[in-house]
Amino acid sequence: MPIHEKSLIRPEDLETHDDMVLDGVDVSGHWSTFIKTRVVSDYNEALEEEIAALPGGEHIHRCWQCGSCTNSCTVNAVNPDFNPRYWIYLIRMGMESELLRDKDIIWQCVSCNKCTYACPRDVFPEGVMKATSHWLERKGHTPKSPSTHFDEVFTEQVVATGKIEESRTMRRFFTRTKQALMQDWMVEMVKRMLRGLPVGMLTRMGLATLVAPRTSDWSRASAAIQEYIDEQHEEQENALNLAQLVETAKRDAA
Amino acid sequence: MSKPILIVGGGPAGLAAAHSFATVGKKAVIVEKEDRLGGAPILSGYAKLVPSGEWASDAIGGMVTRVEQAANVDVETGATVTGFDGTPGNFTAELSNGKKFEAEAAILCSGFTHFDSVNKPEWGFGTFEDVVTTTQVEQMISSGQGVRCPSDGRKPERVAILLCVGSRDRQIGREWCSKICCTVSANMAMEIREELPNCHVYIYYMDIRTFGLYETKYYWQSQEEFKVKYIKARIAEVTSDGDKLIVKGEDTLVKRPITIPFDMVVHAIGMDPNVDNPSIAETFGIDLEQHGFIDVANRYGAMGETSRPGVYVAGAATGPETIDDSIAQGHGTAMAVLSGLGEISKSA
Repeated sequence: MPIHEKSLIRPEDLETHDDMVLDGVDVSGHWSTFIKTRVVSDYNEALEEEIAALPGGEHIHRCWQCGSCTNSCTVNAVNPDFNPRYWIYLIRMGMESELLRDKDIIWQCVSCNKCTYACPRDVFPEGVMKATSHWLERKGHTPKSPSTHFDEVFTEQVVATGKIEESRTMRRFFTRTKQALMQDWMVEMVKRMLRGLPVGMLTRMGLATLVAPRTSDWSRASAAIQEYIDEQHEEQENALNLAQLVETAKRDAA
Repeated sequence: MSKPILIVGGGPAGLAAAHSFATVGKKAVIVEKEDRLGGAPILSGYAKLVPSGEWASDAIGGMVTRVEQAANVDVETGATVTGFDGTPGNFTAELSNGKKFEAEAAILCSGFTHFDSVNKPEWGFGTFEDVVTTTQVEQMISSGQGVRCPSDGRKPERVAILLCVGSRDRQIGREWCSKICCTVSANMAMEIREELPNCHVYIYYMDIRTFGLYETKYYWQSQEEFKVKYIKARIAEVTSDGDKLIVKGEDTLVKRPITIPFDMVVHAIGMDPNVDNPSIAETFGIDLEQHGFIDVANRYGAMGETSRPGVYVAGAATGPETIDDSIAQGHGTAMAVLSGLGEISKSA
């Protein structure tokens, strides 16, 4: 529902009581409906800082709520609930519970970057959407998305070998996302390729599958990249206070 | 041409006009009701000025020294004008201290009066110690004491600045925009963040009017570099839970009521017409405009003409004005006075 059509009072914030008497007056049933409080009683200043600590979210504090991002948004055109302007505001003011209501829509950003070009303040809303999706995943609010799995297998392979071997990337991706290794479209593709009998190419593919190709003298570059990744990862873990989150979860479980 | 020009008020506009006359060798008399020159920036203890970033005591203090050292400018402090009669080129002025002198023309540089926040009781000024005005925060900064909660001297961790206090408010008969409070507040927010990096500053606004080049240096910089937060909400009331101040209102961008705790609430107070304007108007026989500021009669003729020939006006006496523009008007009106006198001597 577009935001301007939203009711000030959500259906789930309405309460009716089957059996309730107040000061001797029977107020049961639908004719006397109670409304849960919808007052914002504090700002969570940490939320903006957490999103800003993730790649893409760095410039969120520049936003002055003009709405250019939402107006130019590809996804908003088909799903009026997809509203970057609104989420940026919720994050900046620290309205976390409100943001979490939309956790299953935020990842739908298609990264067309129309908002990036429309934004007069260079907030990079597309980056903020990416950072927010990652924030939701890392805080455990949403499961790892397929695209995150793909990014991970891709990165792991590049760091390890300096090269991409597509079939390996695909296999690992399917394994991690618990998909069948033999996808119908893949079988069909191989069949058609075999029909043309490109001997040389098939040989190279076969070899690459057996022996992982590596960039020569890669180990030092690999170590440097890995160090940078670890450093970034640690910084983000700290910014998001994840260690403490895990600690609390453990204590609650025990 | 030995008679001086009467300048009423020794603030930025009056000092600029006096300097202009001093430079061309024309005599001038500044009549200032307070005991020293400088006007609001000095008397109210402003800190760093917009947009130069210079301390008011240095910048305006320098203008005061320059005028005090000028041989052909007399200064009458602690005095007001009680009588003003005659025609252009031949006025007689009487002062409250009994002095009487002839003058060729007069420039009213009588400025403004800060809005008194007790007139907005729902915003807690006068009820809660930690509700202060922009002027008080300016003094905290300029005195070197730093921004502290008046109740117990602690460093605030969360400050709210409320814009349009005494401006754009028909309820209290003040329809005008005071023009500079948005910029002053953005500047103040940055100063607070600079002194107290752990203090979060929120600005509650209806519109942000950091006009012209102030946009980059104040509005944008305060958000981009100092992470000041702007919330579109007109506050309904400021109360207290006994521990913190509670700011109530509606966040219009999410259509939700808010009740947020703060350590300190700052009123960005507006500019009222000088409280003495009715008597000034009577003494000088000039008109006030509908809000009570001194009316400018002819916008496209000589600078600062009032409804009475030979009596001019410059600076915030005409309506809310920046310090820079007040200074420019002071200089410009001095020029208008000189050319007006030239006209008189030509026709004589």
